[in-house]
Amino acid sequence: MQSRGSRCFPVGPNVAPPPAHAAPSRARLDRYSARVTTDGLALATRGLVKRYGTRPALAGLDLSVPSGVVYGFLGPNGAGKTTTMRLLTGLIHPDAGSIEVLGRPFGRGDRHRLFEVGALIESPSFYPYLSGLENLRALAATGAPTPRGRIEELLELVGLRERARDKVQTYSLGMKQRLGIAAALLGDPRLLLLDEPANGLDPAGIVAMRETLRHLASTGKTVFVSSHVLGEIQQLADVIGIIASGRLVREGPIEQLLQGEGEVRVRVAADELEPARTALAALVPDGSVTQSGDDDGWLTVRIDAVRAAEVNRTLAEAGIYASGIEAGSDLESLFLELTRGESVGHEGTFFGVAGGSR
Amino acid sequence: MRIFVATLRKLVRRPASFVTLGLLIGLLALILIAVSAAASQPGARPQEREGLLLVTFPGAYTIILSFILGLGGLFAVIYGAAVAGSEWTWGTLKSAVARGESRSRYQLLSFAAIAVMIGMGMLIAFAVGIAVAVVGANIAGVSTAGIGDSETLGTLPELLGKGWLAIVEEGALGFAIATLARSQLAGIGAGIAFFFGEQFASLFLPDVVKYLPFNAANAIVTTPGEGGFSGGGGGGPEVASLAPDQALLVVLAWLVGSILVATLFTERAEISG
Repeated sequence: MQSRGSRCFPVGPNVAPPPAHAAPSRARLDRYSARVTTDGLALATRGLVKRYGTRPALAGLDLSVPSGVVYGFLGPNGAGKTTTMRLLTGLIHPDAGSIEVLGRPFGRGDRHRLFEVGALIESPSFYPYLSGLENLRALAATGAPTPRGRIEELLELVGLRERARDKVQTYSLGMKQRLGIAAALLGDPRLLLLDEPANGLDPAGIVAMRETLRHLASTGKTVFVSSHVLGEIQQLADVIGIIASGRLVREGPIEQLLQGEGEVRVRVAADELEPARTALAALVPDGSVTQSGDDDGWLTVRIDAVRAAEVNRTLAEAGIYASGIEAGSDLESLFLELTRGESVGHEGTFFGVAGGSR
Repeated sequence: MRIFVATLRKLVRRPASFVTLGLLIGLLALILIAVSAAASQPGARPQEREGLLLVTFPGAYTIILSFILGLGGLFAVIYGAAVAGSEWTWGTLKSAVARGESRSRYQLLSFAAIAVMIGMGMLIAFAVGIAVAVVGANIAGVSTAGIGDSETLGTLPELLGKGWLAIVEEGALGFAIATLARSQLAGIGAGIAFFFGEQFASLFLPDVVKYLPFNAANAIVTTPGEGGFSGGGGGGPEVASLAPDQALLVVLAWLVGSILVATLFTERAEISG
């Protein structure tokens, strides 16, 4: 098991080693700014509208995906993520709005634009009675020509070389997913569209995939990843876009978005709650200090997590000493706040459990 | 061309190719042997002895081809539907389109590969049918002297060519139905229903049925008025067949129409799943 995991996405002879995974950093933010201002956008949609019957799936989606970044595309179920992916790959066509792929308009007659795009949409699609190798060969016969040796190189990259001649119907979900990623990379695409790429991968496979995608971005390729796994996106993406009800509700560099979404929780004595709230009110706008409903002495201050020391100092200057302090900002908080009540069929709850109540 | 070759490779490896051909050959062999064995019994009735025509050359050539067209038509519909439908069911069409492949070209070249496979299958079934007929003739004690009849052998290429066109038309019908249904299973089911529906329709629309795809396909080889072993459903009322030349035109119309429908539908379809 360990060996299989460690073989997933290994570094093949023709594949440059991916760099060690870097946590979100200032450098990623700078890279984003540089791409937007110099290289332009790898992908852009303007006022994208798509209806299924009378039901709108997308209601004017405006995406701006800079070149050379990993873009995390997030949204609750039914928000329009898969519809967007289908539109971006020409599987369906918009009712209104426009798409630009790699700086050029992408419409009904522009299928050649996809020669520079690799995609894994929904679940990986293969002929079950053919081997992984034969499936990649069959797929390579479509679209842009595939360089000689590319298939073997990719099978090595995704750790399927030893199982390449086995029928796909004998593959596990994770192996199919890896083959799907190899298929998406067939044409050495400048833009990679991946729908839930971590599906079915084991932990080692997920780490390796993350490193591979980050490596691709570091070579100037753009990786557009749709996912429900927020922690994964937080570790992987430079830029995120969150959609709800077919519209973009937030987009930007992940650090920048999370900066405004942090919170610091402080615990003070019960009889000091009000003085503490008053003291902290001077630090943040109205309504940014809330008390835990459990009346357990915890106050939550909506403030950038890096300002936790400032919160502590403000309390100390007011003669209040916190017995506990926690600081953090994560994508989950932001996501739940922006998409609360949007999940199709759940109306703000997930299997009956209220969402967004952290 | 890359798609055509790739599809041929896929079809050669596909179990449905072997199963369909195996079933056709198995049934053909079974019927030829059974009929000739029954007809050669000492107490066989005159009607049963007519079965010996199946293994009597040179007439056996046409009858066997006619049989392949009749039963093979059903298999061709199923095969065409299976191949076209699976592209939607397995999502492999989606993958090709997402790589920037032309939908029309993909469908046309895929069908071209199916047509080649059908041709190869028909030739194999015909060859096996002839071999089994020779065996049947020996069992029944019928002379096989007519097997080398030069006049009949001279017409065989044309007959086989027309026969191939007829089966390809039936395969195209299955291909189109499954494309419209966007499903392998639904396509096969609808194809089979169409096949038997046409036989059933002969009860109510005898003048129209001869223009329908399966009857027209069978009429390409069968001499007018001659039932042969075509017709698939069997047991229905006698339906006037089209003249072979007329049938050829009708078959071509169905063939082109089916491919056109499949291609246009795919070109305009919203691909999901």
